[in-house]
Amino acid sequence: MKKKVFAIMLAAATVCATLSACAGTAAPAAPAADASTEAAAPAETPEGGIRLVNNKVEVDEGLKKLAKAYEEKTGVPVVIESLGGGIDTQATLKGYYQADNMPDIFVFEGDIHYPTWEGLLADLSDEAWVNDTEAEYVRDGKVYGFPTTTEAIGLAYNADILAKAGVDPKSITGPESMRKAFETIDAKKDELGLTSVLGYYTESSQLWWSPGQHVFGTYFDSGLARDDTTYIDLFKDGGKLDMDRATPWSEMVALFNEYTDPAGVSGTYDAQVLGFASGKYAFVTQGSWIGATLMNDDKEAYDAAGHFEIGMIPYAFIEGQDTILTNSPNWWGVYKDGNVEEAKKFLAWCAADDGGQEILAKDCGFISPYASNTHAPDDPFAKTIAEYTAAGTTSSWHWLSMKAGIGQNATGVVFQDYAMGNFPDAKTFLDTLQQVCTNYYAN
Amino acid sequence: MNSVANKLLSPILLIAGAAMVIISLIMDFAGSGSSLRGPMLVIGILVFFAGLYLFPTQKHHRKIVYVIFLFPLLFTFAVTVIIPLVLGICYSFTDWTGIRFNSVVGLTNYMTMFKDPAFIWSILITFIFVVLNMVLINLVGFLLALLCTSGIKGGGFFRASYFLPNLIGGIVLGYIWQFVFNNVIIDMTDNISWLARSKTALFAIVVVYIWQYAGYIMLIYITGLTQIPGDVLEAAKIDGANPAQTLFKVKIPMIASTITICTFLTLTSAFKQFDVNMALTNGAGSVANFMGNYLSNGTQMLALNIYNTAISKNNYALGQAKAVFFFIILAVVSLIQVRVSNKKEVEL
Repeated sequence: MKKKVFAIMLAAATVCATLSACAGTAAPAAPAADASTEAAAPAETPEGGIRLVNNKVEVDEGLKKLAKAYEEKTGVPVVIESLGGGIDTQATLKGYYQADNMPDIFVFEGDIHYPTWEGLLADLSDEAWVNDTEAEYVRDGKVYGFPTTTEAIGLAYNADILAKAGVDPKSITGPESMRKAFETIDAKKDELGLTSVLGYYTESSQLWWSPGQHVFGTYFDSGLARDDTTYIDLFKDGGKLDMDRATPWSEMVALFNEYTDPAGVSGTYDAQVLGFASGKYAFVTQGSWIGATLMNDDKEAYDAAGHFEIGMIPYAFIEGQDTILTNSPNWWGVYKDGNVEEAKKFLAWCAADDGGQEILAKDCGFISPYASNTHAPDDPFAKTIAEYTAAGTTSSWHWLSMKAGIGQNATGVVFQDYAMGNFPDAKTFLDTLQQVCTNYYAN
Repeated sequence: MNSVANKLLSPILLIAGAAMVIISLIMDFAGSGSSLRGPMLVIGILVFFAGLYLFPTQKHHRKIVYVIFLFPLLFTFAVTVIIPLVLGICYSFTDWTGIRFNSVVGLTNYMTMFKDPAFIWSILITFIFVVLNMVLINLVGFLLALLCTSGIKGGGFFRASYFLPNLIGGIVLGYIWQFVFNNVIIDMTDNISWLARSKTALFAIVVVYIWQYAGYIMLIYITGLTQIPGDVLEAAKIDGANPAQTLFKVKIPMIASTITICTFLTLTSAFKQFDVNMALTNGAGSVANFMGNYLSNGTQMLALNIYNTAISKNNYALGQAKAVFFFIILAVVSLIQVRVSNKKEVEL
C-alpha cells in the first residue's frame, strides 16, 4: 500500500514537472523591469503597447525613463528589454522569432543583419523623421532603420598634453605630420608623464573589434565622401584590398605599433580607456563612445588628470584625408507583424525635438543624428563631432558591411600578431591580412 | 455495472482527449495566438490517458499502465532531445539562417566545412587537447587522491579545497585566469601574456582546465581507493611490500574500473570543452602556416568553433552541419566507452 502511494506521488510529481515545463510559455512573464536585467525571461508586449529590444545595457535606465515619459504623455505603455553582457542580441532575437515572441522594435546592425530580417522589417520610408536625418538605414531604396545616436571613429587626443608638447592637432594632416607629432611627443614623454604616445590596443579575445573593425574600417572610408563605396565594394567581392590605398594604411598601423604601449597586446578595453582618462596616453585608438566611460566609470581618474579637453583627428594615412568616420552604430527596426502603428508613433516622438530627444541626449548620452535637435549630451566628444559634421568632413562606416564576424574570427588576430612583432614589416602584415580576408570570404 | 460504465466512458474520453490534442496542435501550427492551446493540449493528453486507463480489457491493462507511466519521461525526452536532434540534422542540409531556409543544399555544408583549414585546425587541437587532458587530469587527480588518503594532517581540508574550483562556473573561472595570465604572471613571461600566443595559450587552457577538473576526478579516485579492502593492504604490508609495490601491484589493479570511468569522463568532457575556452581566449590566436594558410583561430576548439560559426559568423546551417559531425564523434566515443566498461565489469 505504502509503495503504491509513493508511486502515485512520484508519478504526480513527474507529471507536474512536465506540465509546468509545457505551461511555461503561456504563463505571464516576469515584470519587465526584472526581465531586462536578468534577460533570462523574455518580456512580453504589453496590451496595446510596444516592446523594444535594446543591446546597450549602459543606456537601459535612460531608455526606461524615455518609455515612462512616453507612457505619461500618450498612455501607451512601452517596455524596454535590454540584452547585453555577453548575450548575443541577434541570436536571442532569432530565438524570440522562433518562439513567436518578437518585440515590436528591435536593434540591428545594418547590412550584416539585414539578410536575417529581410521581409520582416516594416517600411519606414514615409516617416517624417527620415527627412530630418542622413543616418537612417536604407536598403533597396526603402528606409528600414531608425538611427538613435551618432558615434565617431577618429584618433582621439588629449588636448592638454598636445598643447603642452607644442603640437597643434590641426597640423596633423597626413602620415608625415602624424609621425612628426608622435616624435615630438615621444621626446617629451617623461616630462609629460606619459606611458606612451599612443594607446593602441590589439588584444584579440575581447577587444578584436577595435583593431579588427574600427582601425581596419578607416581603410574603407578615411577621407572619402559618405556615399563612396569603392573600397567596400571591392572588399565584398571576395575580400580584396586595394594595395595602393592599403599600403599607406598599413604603414600607419606600423607607426602605431612603434609608438604604442606594448601592454596593448594583452590589455583590456577598460585598461585602454583608463590609461587615456588618467593622462597616460596622448592619443587613443577608440572612438566617441569612450566619452560615456570617461564621464562615469573613469570619472575619478579623468578628474584627477585635470578633466582635459578631448578632440579627434582623422586617421590620415594619405596626405589630406580630413574626415572622421561617423555613423549610427545600429538602428531600430520595426517588426512588420508587431504593433507597427504604435511603434511608428513612438519613433516619431523620439525623433521630434519636443519629444524624446532631450531624454535620449541627457540620459542616454546619445549624440542626435537629427538636424532639428537642439539637445547635446554632456559628452566630451559632442563638440568635436558637431564641428566635423558642420564642416561636412565626415565619412561613413562602410566596414559595417563586411562579412559577419570577420573582426572576431579573422582580422583582429592579425593586428595583435603584428603588434607582438611577429611580422617583419608592414608589407608582410598587409599580405597576411589580405590572405586572411580572402580565406574568410571563401569559407 | 462498473464495467458497463467503463465501456461507455472510455471511448468518450479517448475521443475527446484526442480531439483536444489535435485541435490545439492545429491551432499552434496555424499560428493562432490563443493562450488556450497550451492548457488544452495538456488537458487533452490527461483526458486521453484517463480513457486509456479505463479501457475495458484485462489482458492489456498492465501494458497500458506501463505506457501511461512512461509517457511523461518519453514526452520530455522527445521534446528536449529527439525532436531538436532530428530537426538539427535536417537543418544541416539546408541554408537555414536561424529564421528560415530558402533551399535544400544537400551536402554543401559538409563539403564547405572540411575544405576550411580553420575547422581542420579546430579538430586537430581538440584531439591534442583531449589526449593531454585525459593523461594529465587523471595523473594529477590520482596523485591528489593518494595525498588525501595518505592520512595527511588536514586531509579533509585539502580534499575540499582541491574540489572547490569545480564548483566555480567555467566562464567565471576563465575570466579569473585571464586576469591572472594578463596581469599577474605577465612579468614572468617576457611581458607578453601566455594568452597572446597560440601555443602558450593552448597550454594555458590545459592548465586551467586541469585546475578545474582534477578535483572532481580526485574525488572519484578517493572513493575507489577507500573501497580497497583493508585486509588486502594489510596482507601486502605483512608480506613486506614497500609503498611503491603496494601502489603498483595492489592499489592500481584494485581500482582498475575507477580508472576506466575517470578516463572516459575526462575524455568526453574534454571533447565538449567550451566555457573555459571561450572566456580565456575566445578562440583567438595566430597560426603562421597551417596547410598553407594563416589562421586566426589558433586556440578555437570544436565546440567553440561551432558556436562562433553559428552566432558570430551568422551561418546557422554550417554551424549545424559541424554540430552533427561533432555529435557523431561523441557518439562513437560514448559507444566505445560503454563497450569497454562492460568488458571490465565482466572481468571483475
